[in-house]
Amino acid sequence: MPENAWGWLIVTYLFLAGAGSGAFLSAVACDLLAPDWSKALARAGSLAAGPLITIGTSCLVFDLEAGLWEPWRQAYLVFNPTSMITWGVIILSGFIPVAFLYGLALNGITVIGKYFAKYVRTLEIVGSVFAVATAGYTGVLIAVVNGVPFWNTPLMPVLFLASAMSTGLAVAMIGAALIDVSTIKTLSNFALGHVIFLAVEAGVLMLLIFMSLTRSVEAATSAQMLISGALSPYFWGLVVVIGVAVPLVLSVVEYYEYGEMPKLLVVGADVCVLIGGMSLRALIIYSGTPPLIV
Amino acid sequence: MPTISRRKFLAASAVGTAALAVGPYVSFDAWAKAQNESQETKVTPTLCGACDNWCAINVHTKGDRVWKAEGIPGAGKNLGGVCAKGHGFLHELYNPDRIRGPLKRVGPDKFEAISWEQAFKEIGEKTLAIKEKHGPQSIFWLTHPQANHSLNGRFLHALGSSNMFSHGSTCFMPRNVGWWLTVGGKPEMDLEHSRMIVLLGRNPAGGLNLGSLREISRARSNGARMVVVDPRFNESASLADRWLRIRPGTDLALVLALSHVIIEEGRWQKEFVEKYTEGFAEFAAEVKKYTPAWAQEKTGISAAEIVQLARELAGYAPRVCVHRGYHGAMGTQYKNSLQLVRAVGCLSGLLGNFNQPGGLYFPPKPKLGKLDPKDYPKPPEVPDHMSDGSGDPDRYPLVPAGNGIAHAIPELALKGELKAGFVYHSNPIRTNPNPARVIAGYKKLELLVSFDYVLSETATIAHYILPEAFYLESDDVVYTSHSVRSAQVSIRQPVVKPLYDTKPLFEILKGMAGNLGIGEYFKFTLEEYNRASLAPLHVTLERLKKEGVIDTGSRWEPGPPKLKTPSGKLEMVSSILKDYGLPAIPTWEEPLVMPDPKDPHSFRLIHGKQAHHTHARTGNQPYLTEITTLNDWARVWIHPDRAKLLGLRDGDCMSITSTVGKGRARCRITEGIHPDCIFLPSGYGMFSRHFKFGKKHGQGGYGFGISYNDFLPTYFDPVLGHTMGNEIIVRVEKSTTRGA
Amino acid sequence: MPHYGIAIDTTKCIGCHACRVACQNQNGLAYDQEFNRIVERERGRYPSFAKEFIPLQCNHCENAPCQRVCPTGATYTTKEGVVLVNPKTCVGCKYCVEACPYKMRMIDHHKGIVVKCVMCIDLVRQGGIPACVSTCPTQVRIFGDLDDPNSEISRFVATHRAQPLRADLDTRPRIFYKRS
Ligand SMILES: Nc1nc2c(c(=O)[nH]1)N[C@H]1C(S)=C(S)[C@@H](COP(=O)(O)OP(=O)(O)OC[C@H]3O[C@@H](n4cnc5c(=O)[nH]c(N)nc54)[C@H](O)[C@@H]3O)O[C@H]1N2
Ligand SMILES: Nc1nc2c(c(=O)[nH]1)N[C@H]1C(S)=C(S)[C@@H](COP(=O)(O)OP(=O)(O)OC[C@H]3O[C@@H](n4cnc5c(=O)[nH]c(N)nc54)[C@H](O)[C@@H]3O)O[C@H]1N2
Ligand code: SF4
Ligand code: SF4
Ligand code: SF4
Ligand code: SF4
Ligand code: SF4
Ligand SMILES: [Mo]
Repeated sequence: MPENAWGWLIVTYLFLAGAGSGAFLSAVACDLLAPDWSKALARAGSLAAGPLITIGTSCLVFDLEAGLWEPWRQAYLVFNPTSMITWGVIILSGFIPVAFLYGLALNGITVIGKYFAKYVRTLEIVGSVFAVATAGYTGVLIAVVNGVPFWNTPLMPVLFLASAMSTGLAVAMIGAALIDVSTIKTLSNFALGHVIFLAVEAGVLMLLIFMSLTRSVEAATSAQMLISGALSPYFWGLVVVIGVAVPLVLSVVEYYEYGEMPKLLVVGADVCVLIGGMSLRALIIYSGTPPLIV
Repeated sequence: MPTISRRKFLAASAVGTAALAVGPYVSFDAWAKAQNESQETKVTPTLCGACDNWCAINVHTKGDRVWKAEGIPGAGKNLGGVCAKGHGFLHELYNPDRIRGPLKRVGPDKFEAISWEQAFKEIGEKTLAIKEKHGPQSIFWLTHPQANHSLNGRFLHALGSSNMFSHGSTCFMPRNVGWWLTVGGKPEMDLEHSRMIVLLGRNPAGGLNLGSLREISRARSNGARMVVVDPRFNESASLADRWLRIRPGTDLALVLALSHVIIEEGRWQKEFVEKYTEGFAEFAAEVKKYTPAWAQEKTGISAAEIVQLARELAGYAPRVCVHRGYHGAMGTQYKNSLQLVRAVGCLSGLLGNFNQPGGLYFPPKPKLGKLDPKDYPKPPEVPDHMSDGSGDPDRYPLVPAGNGIAHAIPELALKGELKAGFVYHSNPIRTNPNPARVIAGYKKLELLVSFDYVLSETATIAHYILPEAFYLESDDVVYTSHSVRSAQVSIRQPVVKPLYDTKPLFEILKGMAGNLGIGEYFKFTLEEYNRASLAPLHVTLERLKKEGVIDTGSRWEPGPPKLKTPSGKLEMVSSILKDYGLPAIPTWEEPLVMPDPKDPHSFRLIHGKQAHHTHARTGNQPYLTEITTLNDWARVWIHPDRAKLLGLRDGDCMSITSTVGKGRARCRITEGIHPDCIFLPSGYGMFSRHFKFGKKHGQGGYGFGISYNDFLPTYFDPVLGHTMGNEIIVRVEKSTTRGA
Repeated sequence: MPHYGIAIDTTKCIGCHACRVACQNQNGLAYDQEFNRIVERERGRYPSFAKEFIPLQCNHCENAPCQRVCPTGATYTTKEGVVLVNPKTCVGCKYCVEACPYKMRMIDHHKGIVVKCVMCIDLVRQGGIPACVSTCPTQVRIFGDLDDPNSEISRFVATHRAQPLRADLDTRPRIFYKRS
C-alpha cells in the first residue's frame, strides 16, 4: 500500500501561509480603513505576517528530503511553470521580504523601517497582491491534484482564502490584545470581519461536502470520512463547532455588545478560529483518497 | 485514515527537525557506498536452487555481488521463465542466518565451530563403529534427489548399505508408480499443442512448472479449452475456462465416470485402443457401474457437467491432455491416489493421446557416459531391498529401492534398525508428517549428519553439520532433467566465490570417504566425472559451462507409441498388480477419512503450494515473505457458508485441531473453496529458532504460520507407504487469541 | 522514435509475483520497495465464481499529472514516451506522489527522492525487454512500440480492444489492459 505522502509539515505550511497572508491583509485593512479604531491591530498583523509565512515556508522546506539534505537542489524548485509549488516558491520569495518590510515600516522599527515608512502605501498594495496570491495558492496547490478527487475542485481555493482571512484576522486580534489590552473594546468592530469570513467559510465547506458526496465515489469516500467516518469526531468537534459555530456566535455577540464582552471570550473566539483553521487543513489532507483504479 | 509515516511524526516535532538534520548523512553514506561498489557486470549460466525444478538461469553479477537472474530461453523445463523465488533467493546468499563453516552439536541446540578435518575424522570413526556393531544396513542416506544423486548413491553403496531414501513418500510416489505400471514410465505432456487441457489435482501455477505454464499460455492463445478440477480455485484456474469444485478425495470417481460415458457413447479412439492398449474389455466391464449419476453423489459435480466434460474430451481427442500429476491428488495426498493415476492412464488410453501431438509422451534423455570401471572401481553390489521393505516382494514390492519410504525412517530408528543417517538437501522434521514423532525418531540416531546451509529444523538436531556451498557458489554434476522435448544437458557452476568456509557436495563426500576406508571409490575429480559423462555426447565441459544448456540432438517426434510395460502396451489391466494380487483394474476406492457432514466443526484439511514459497524452506527470505505480508496469504481458506456457522468473519483467528496436532491461523473466507474442506498453504510453519532474519521482516522466520504436517497422523499407504497427506480431519473453532 | 508501452492480459495472470521480484532485482530495490504490484479480485458464487489478478505499474501517462506538478522538472518524459524521475534534481517534495492517480510512485527515504517504474529503459535501449515482461511464466505482459501498427503490442491492443486504467482521468496511459 502506498504511504500517504504529505503530513503535518505540509498541513502546518498550508495553515501558517494562510494565516500569515490573512494577518497581513487585516493589518492593511485596519491601517487603510480604520486607523483610528486600533493602531494595535494593524501593528500586530503587520508584525505577525512576515514570521508566520517564513515559519510556514520552512515547514515546506523541512518536508523535503534530498532537497533538505542537499539544499542547493532547492534552486530547481522554480523550474516548472505548470507546478503550483514553483508558483508558490516565486510568490513566497516575493511576499516574505515585503511582509517583513511592511512590519518594520508600519511600526517604524530600525533605520530600515524608518526609511521605508514613506513607502508604506506601496508595500500595502504590493503586499496585498502577494497575500491574496499566497492564501489562494495554498488552495490551488491541492485543488489541481487529480490524484485526489476530493481536493480536485475550484471550491478549494475559495475555502482556503476564506479560512486564511479569518485565521489571519484572529492572529491580528490576539496580537493586538497582547500589545495593548485596552484596545479589546475597539476590537469588537472587527468581529464583523469574523462573522463575514466564518459565514463564507461555513457556506463553502458545506458546498464542498455536499458536492463531493455526489461528484465521485472517491470524493464521496473522503467526505464520508469527515462527516460520518473515522475522522468525523475531529471534523464536527474541531472544525464545525470550535472552528466555526462557537467563534461565529461569540463574534456576533461581541459585535453587538460593543466591547462589553469579557476579554477572555474575545481572545477565546480568535483562538477557536485558529484551532479550526489548522484542523480544517489537516482533515482535508488526511481525508484525501486516491481514485479506484481496478 | 491514511497512515502517517514515522518520519513525518518526527518531522512534526521539534526533535524531528534535528533528526532530519542528522538522518541524511547516515543514510547518504550508505547510499554513496552502494553507488561506489564496482559496477563491472558478468553473466554466468547456471541452475537455480530455490526449488527442485533447477531452472536454467543466467545470473548477472555486479562486481563481486549477485545482481539478477534471467531465464535461459532454450531450457526445456523453464523455457526462459524465472519465478519469484528464483529472483528472491539470490538474496538468500547474503542471509545472515547462513552457516559459516562446519559445526558440531555440543548440547541441545548448542553448536561449536570445528575444522573440516576434525569433522571428517570424527564422522569417519563414528560411522565405522556403527557399521561394525550394527552392520551396513544401519546406515541410511536421505536426499532430495538431484543431479548429484549418483554420487550420493556411490557413497552409500560403497559403505555397503542400500538404504537410500528420497522424499518420494511425501511427494510423488503413487504418480510415479501408477504411470510406470500403466505405460512403463513417467510421461511428459505436449501441452502447447493440446486442444483441451484438464488439470486434475495439479496446480502448475502454484506448484510451479514454468515450462508447462509457458506452454499452457501459448495453447490458450491458440484457443485451447482448459478445465481445472480442484476443491479450491487454484492459481491455474485463473487461466482456465471452467473450474470444477470437486469434493476432496473423489477424483477417482470423476475419472471412472468420464471413462464410463466415453465407452457407453462409443466415443473412444478405437484404433489406438485396439493397437496399443491391453485389457479394454475388462476395463469397460468395470466402469459400467460408474455412471455420472453415481459420480455426482461422490464428487458433488453434476452428472450433466461430467457428461459434457467427457464429450468435450472425446471430441478433441487425441489432441487432449489430462495432466499426469505430481504431488496433488495424483501424488501422495490420498489413499486412492494410485488408483486415480491408473484411472487417468486408462482414460488417456481411451483418448488415444499417447505419443500424439497435444498428448502424453516419453521425453528423450541424453545417454551420459560413465567413468571407466577399470581405473575407477564401482562400489560392490548392495541388497536389492531396503530396511523399510521397499523392493521386498513380501512388503512394499512396488516401492522402488532407492526411493523408499522416507517418513518410515523415524519408525526404523525407534526400532533400532537405523543408527546413522546422512540427510542431504532434505528437512524431514518439517516436511514429514507429525513432527513430534519425527523428532523422537531422528533423536534416537547415534549419528546424524546434515549438509544444510542453514540451521533448519533437521540440522538443529544433527550431531554434525557440514555446510554445502550454496547453489550460487557450487559446482555440480551434469544435469539432464531439462530434457523435455529434446535431450538436453545443463550444469550448475559457481557464480561467486564461496562467502564462507563451505564446500561443494563432491568435496564433502570425498573428505568423508577418505576417513571411511572407501576413498578408492572417489579417486577422481568432479571435472573428470563430468567429462566422462559428456564424452559420448561430443559436448565439451567448457562449452557446456559457457552456454549453460545444450541440445544434444534427439527430439521428441509424435508417432506410434513405444510403451515400456511388460506387454509393451498401455495396460488398463496391470499385469504387475495382478501378479501381486492387487486390484489390477482401476476400481473405486473410498478415501481413508471423511469429515462428519453433521458436525459444523468437522473439515478435511487440504494443502498446496504457493508460487512464492518452496516447501517450508523459503520463509526466511524477506524478498519472499514480503509477498505473503502484502497479500496476507498465510491465511487458511474456508467457505463463507461454513464460516458463518462458526461465527467467523474474514481475518478472524481459528483454532484447528486434529488427532495429532493443534494450531491457530487466521481465516480467509472465499467462495473459491469446497465447503467440506479448509485449505492451508504449505509453505509456512518453519520453527527452527535459527530462522531469525525473516522474522525481522514481515510474515516469515521461525514461529510464523502452521504446517499441514502438524496435523497429519503417521500413515503408511498399504500399497506404496506414502503419507496420504490430505487424509486429515480437523475440528475448526473460532479462536479469540491471535494466529498467523 | 518508437513510443513504448506494455499490454497486460489479466486473463493470464496467476499472481505469482515473479514480475515484482524481477523488477526489484533489476532496479536494485529493497525487499519492501516496489515498482509493480499485483492486486487480487474475487467475484461471483460457484459455479460462476471467478478471480482476477491485476498487475499494476506506472502507466507512463502521455498526459502525466506527476510531471505537471513536479516543481523541479525532475519528472520528465523521454523521447520514447517513458516517464522518468531525475534522481539528481528531485528534492523529495512528494507533490507527484499525491498527484499520481494510480499511486504508482514510491518515496525512497534513503535517497530522499521519489522513484517509480522506469520501463527498464536501460535494458530496452540495449535491445532488451523489461524484466517483468521477460520473466512472466504465462507471458501476461507484451512490450513494444505503440507507434508501429504491426508490432505485437499494437495488434494485441487492437484485436482485444485493450483499455488503459481509468481512461476517464485523461492521463492517456501507455499501459493497456485486457480484463477478464
Ligand atoms: N512454488 C513452488 N513450486 C513448486 C514447489 C514448491 O515448493 N513451490 N515444489 C515442487 C514439487 S517438489 C512438487 S511435488 C510440485 C507440487 O505441485 P502440485 O502437484 O501442484 O502440488 P500441490 O500444490 O500440493 O497440489 C496441487 C493442487 O491439488 C489440490 N488438491 C488437493 N486435494 C485435491 C483433490 O482431492 N482433488 C483435486 N482435484 N485436487 C486436490 C490442491 O488444492 C492444489 O491446488 O511443485 C513443484 N513446484
Ligand atoms: N511443510 C511442508 N511439507 C512438505 C511439503 C510442503 O510444501 N510443506 N511438500 C512435500 C513435497 S511435494 C516434497 S517434494 C517434500 C520436500 O521436502 P524435503 O525433501 O525435505 O525438501 P525441502 O523441504 O526442500 O528441504 C530442503 C532442505 O535443504 C536445504 N537446502 C536448501 N538449499 C540447499 C543447498 O544448496 N545445499 C544443501 N545441502 N541444502 C540445501 C534447505 O534449507 C532445507 O532444509 O516435502 C513434502 N512435505
Ligand atoms: S521454479 Fe523458480 S525457484 Fe524453482 S527452479 Fe525455477 S526459478 Fe528456481
Ligand atoms: S509474473 Fe506474470 S503471472 Fe506472475 S504475477 Fe506477474 S504478471 Fe502475473
Ligand atoms: S502512472 Fe502515475 S507516476 Fe506514472 S506517469 Fe502516470 S501519473 Fe505519473
Ligand atoms: S518529489 Fe521529486 S519528482 Fe516528485 S514532484 Fe517533487 S521534485 Fe518532482
Ligand atoms: S518495466 Fe521494468 S521497472 Fe517497470 S515494472 Fe517492469 S520491471 Fe519494473
Ligand atoms: Mo514434491
